[in-house]
Amino acid sequence: MSRASVARGIATAAALAAAVSCGGAAGAGDALHLAIINDPILNAVIAPDIGSILVNKIVFPGLVRPNESLEPEPDLAERWEVSDDGTVYTFHLRPGVVWHDGAPFTARDVAFTFDRIADSTTGTLLWSDFAPIDSVRTPDSLTVEFFLEAPYAPFLTLLGHNAGIIPAHAFPPGASLRDQVAFNRSRPIGTGPYRVSESVPGSYLVLTANERYHGAQPSIPTIVVKIVPDVNAQVAQLRAGELDLITLEPALLPGVEDDPDLRIEQVGVPQHYYVGFNQDLPRFEPAAVRRALMLAVDRQAIIDGVLKGHADYPQGTIPIVLRAYYAADLPRIPHDTAAALALLAEAGWRRSADGKLRDQAGDPFRFSMMIDKGNPSREQAALAVQQDLARIGIEVTLQTLEFSALVRDYLLPRNYEAVLVWWNTPLDPDQYSYYATDQANNDYGYSNPAADSLLLAGRRAVDPEARAAAYRAFQAVEAEDPPVLVLYYPRELQVHRARLSGIPRLGIRDALRHVERFRLESR
Amino acid sequence: MRARAAPGLVGLALLLAFAFLGPLMHRTSPTTLDLANPTAAPSTEHPLGTDEAGRDVLARLMHGGRVSLVVGVLAGLVALVVGLAVGGLASARAAWVRTVSSRLLDAAMAVPAFFVLLVILTLFGTGPVTLIAAVGATAWMGIARLVRVEALSLREREFVSAASALGAGPLRRFVRHLVPNLLPTLTVAATLGVAQAVLTESALSFLGLGIQPPRASWGNMLTGAQVSLARAPWLAVLPGICIVATVLACNAVGESVRRRSSPVRE
Amino acid sequence: MAGALRVLLRRGLQAVVVVWLVTTATFVLVHAAPGGPSVLADPKLGATERAALERELGLDQPIPIQYVRWQGALLRGDLGRSFLYQTPTLSTVLDRLPNTLLLVGPALLLAIAIALPLGVATGRRPGGTLDRLVTAVNFTSLAIPAFWVGIVLILLVAARWRLLPAGGMVTPGAGGSLVDRIRHLVLPVVVLALPLTAELLRFVRNGVMAEAVAGHLAPARARGLAEGHLLRHHVLRNALLPLLTALGLQMPILVGGAAVTETVFSWPGMGRLGIEAALGRDYPLVLAITLVVAATVVTVNLLLDLLYAWADPRVAVES
Repeated sequence: MSRASVARGIATAAALAAAVSCGGAAGAGDALHLAIINDPILNAVIAPDIGSILVNKIVFPGLVRPNESLEPEPDLAERWEVSDDGTVYTFHLRPGVVWHDGAPFTARDVAFTFDRIADSTTGTLLWSDFAPIDSVRTPDSLTVEFFLEAPYAPFLTLLGHNAGIIPAHAFPPGASLRDQVAFNRSRPIGTGPYRVSESVPGSYLVLTANERYHGAQPSIPTIVVKIVPDVNAQVAQLRAGELDLITLEPALLPGVEDDPDLRIEQVGVPQHYYVGFNQDLPRFEPAAVRRALMLAVDRQAIIDGVLKGHADYPQGTIPIVLRAYYAADLPRIPHDTAAALALLAEAGWRRSADGKLRDQAGDPFRFSMMIDKGNPSREQAALAVQQDLARIGIEVTLQTLEFSALVRDYLLPRNYEAVLVWWNTPLDPDQYSYYATDQANNDYGYSNPAADSLLLAGRRAVDPEARAAAYRAFQAVEAEDPPVLVLYYPRELQVHRARLSGIPRLGIRDALRHVERFRLESR
Repeated sequence: MRARAAPGLVGLALLLAFAFLGPLMHRTSPTTLDLANPTAAPSTEHPLGTDEAGRDVLARLMHGGRVSLVVGVLAGLVALVVGLAVGGLASARAAWVRTVSSRLLDAAMAVPAFFVLLVILTLFGTGPVTLIAAVGATAWMGIARLVRVEALSLREREFVSAASALGAGPLRRFVRHLVPNLLPTLTVAATLGVAQAVLTESALSFLGLGIQPPRASWGNMLTGAQVSLARAPWLAVLPGICIVATVLACNAVGESVRRRSSPVRE
Repeated sequence: MAGALRVLLRRGLQAVVVVWLVTTATFVLVHAAPGGPSVLADPKLGATERAALERELGLDQPIPIQYVRWQGALLRGDLGRSFLYQTPTLSTVLDRLPNTLLLVGPALLLAIAIALPLGVATGRRPGGTLDRLVTAVNFTSLAIPAFWVGIVLILLVAARWRLLPAGGMVTPGAGGSLVDRIRHLVLPVVVLALPLTAELLRFVRNGVMAEAVAGHLAPARARGLAEGHLLRHHVLRNALLPLLTALGLQMPILVGGAAVTETVFSWPGMGRLGIEAALGRDYPLVLAITLVVAATVVTVNLLLDLLYAWADPRVAVES
């Protein structure tokens, strides 16, 4: 659920790349070079940022991983059962799995991992994902039972998201995870298809295929993960043949489109970009006003013009990539200025002679909208929103801030009028903590009793059909009473050299859970 | 030494006129998006075409010029004033004043200015006022040091010893005797300072800490243009030319003033 | 001799005070700013996690107490742990320092090697063809943003012609041969040296020219001293003085230039680390980098002052 970590921003979360080693490791044949934007912390439990998360996806598998239908498939767990009431999950671990250092992988490691996750003082970012876990038991060395406080439908998906399993034997009892500098920075021990064999701070990591990997043997012997903080530098290195694969913002596409040796893939990802309105302010409290604002913004123009078509038109807050839950049958909410003005008039806002929208007291409808700096797509989307709202007499001033300042000083204390931000979620529709009344991540003050009960029903539903029904109903509620103004569902642009194949059609984060399938034609 | 300053001055005047008078003739908004019309070729409506988001390039160049020039000149001025003051104090006759301000200067010199600039801007935001203050506040050390070194060196020579023998006070000595002798150095430093500030803004823009879009500056236009360098190189070339022209003009003015006031004339 | 030693000791002590001043000022600056470290700004962090993290990082304490703790740790040689990387900051910084020196050193040498002879030559014959040419090139290279030169070089030399690598310090996994390292070094060194050379050249040329027109040479020449002697004893000394001044001025600027160059070329140096630390508001790392850089620059300045006194006896070392 991380809104991709922070200051580095998701803009640069277009951060993964791969490349061809020009020199060629001695006798190792061609290597696949991946690039991230910062030195990673090689520990799945305390990984703080996108760079770390990407490498950890390779090094630290979880109990399950998402397949191309976005459903959990076995990874470290061979199979599992869920109790009828949805509160007990029993995992049967794959036998014979060994850690990179040769030690056997057992239920104790799983219990240790979730014990650390449950301790918020470790500095883990996974705590709230797994807060519903009541206890973890290990009846034998290959069985793990999770007892949940209440049914928690996203549980399996979350296990396959960022919850990589770390080895109990590598950490002295009682020691802080953060103190394990050697493990965290250069010599992590995982169970993944590759192990870290060399780490040069600020420069690169070399990952070597793990011959004892529990799944299919990796096809590529070596992966080099380069640290390339500047996105334009990533593009240049890709073009120079020093990188094989990067993910890009649409704004950067012109830099790669003319290279015949590059392939561009579009993959739907579970993200929604939106304008959030502070509903503590009376102005944004009426549902009619928020729906009117949605009608007033020409979202198709933003998708075509700003994102060059590489995004999907939004319905509600549940992105289209979650096909099983997306309410495709609901009528599309169009760009309709007249309808917007009519709704605003009902709410008491009328256009005065000067064209400005004013309430009965004559006060104009104006607000300031904050955006994080440094991302051209969001910046231009914000300008487009500003222009569209100016057309119906609403004056929007833009305020550009560093992302961490925006979140910490304005969003979280709810000290803002409007913000343009986004959520980057696991492959699950659970949005209870974002849009249910008074929940931890509901930074907008949105409150709708029907939405609350549907979101809770969706979170607790054991039956998949019932779950889907709850979320479809939630989207119908959202259409009338939008919690936020969703602008678009972006697609991830993966640009790779033609000789690289075998990448599953998943966002890069999830695709890396299947990195052993990647293939590299030798040159 | 006839009209050597002319090219630089004319250049600066042209750039200023372009930035400040230009928008009066070309009244297109620099921030209005025309999403259906990106990277368009020049037309009567957009004399220099449009950028990636369909914004008018000419208008952005003009408004960006205002921002870049104002930031450059004001930041350069801040640096000059602070540098002169600290440098003057650091070469004062009173030992304790000299020591304290010299240590202050040493401390400031020891800090990598650009790094402090980054810290200030990330911590305190990137508004134009912060930017001017921060760029100025991190660029005065060179000037102060020059002033100190030159002043110390000059004082050892005859000018000032004679003046102090005649009983002139420290401030009077500084203003009447040292400053005129420092003028060549100061002019070079000041014009360089303005040029440097314009360049600094562009480097900051590259790191995302300069003037923030949607407000245009030459620096952020240049940075933004690297995306489409292959397809629309003019988007980079135009602001680039403006930056280079500004720096060249400033340096030319400084250079000619330096020559003009140097003791021996051609 | 003892006097000189005492002066040196005194200046050393002053240098320590300067470094302490710098770090304290940075501490105040960092903590006076609104907001907090970016690791705390993840919107997904719940109140529980955020509070726990603040406690873990020691940020829940009042600032004066944080300062005292930090000073205490500093005396023990402990500069704390980076928020971003979870590593001891001092070793993190010192790991990167050699990489930056590897970049700055050659750039400095290249710049001096070009600036000194060209500066002397042009300063002695101002207005000549060489002078006009060099001045023109000089002015232009001072006027172009260095990061832009880097970007264009990467696009042409690395991406289009594939002559040199686009970034990094070595080809990963290739064993880091000398040739490979030099290939990686060429573009960033050129970019870093370009404005530096121009700046040094300008100072040297002006210094030589000022002394020449000040009329010290004519009498010497009239006394029949050989040109070689003149060059060594008058011109070179007059060129060194401004060169030293310019070097002193350029040191901190060079660190900034290195930061930008390192970012453009994905160079794992200290400058880039500094940018990451500043952007991530990684207080301990920001403070450690400031400390290391300040100590380096102070030392260099001290050396320059001594050299200065040697080069221009008119400026006595303050005692």
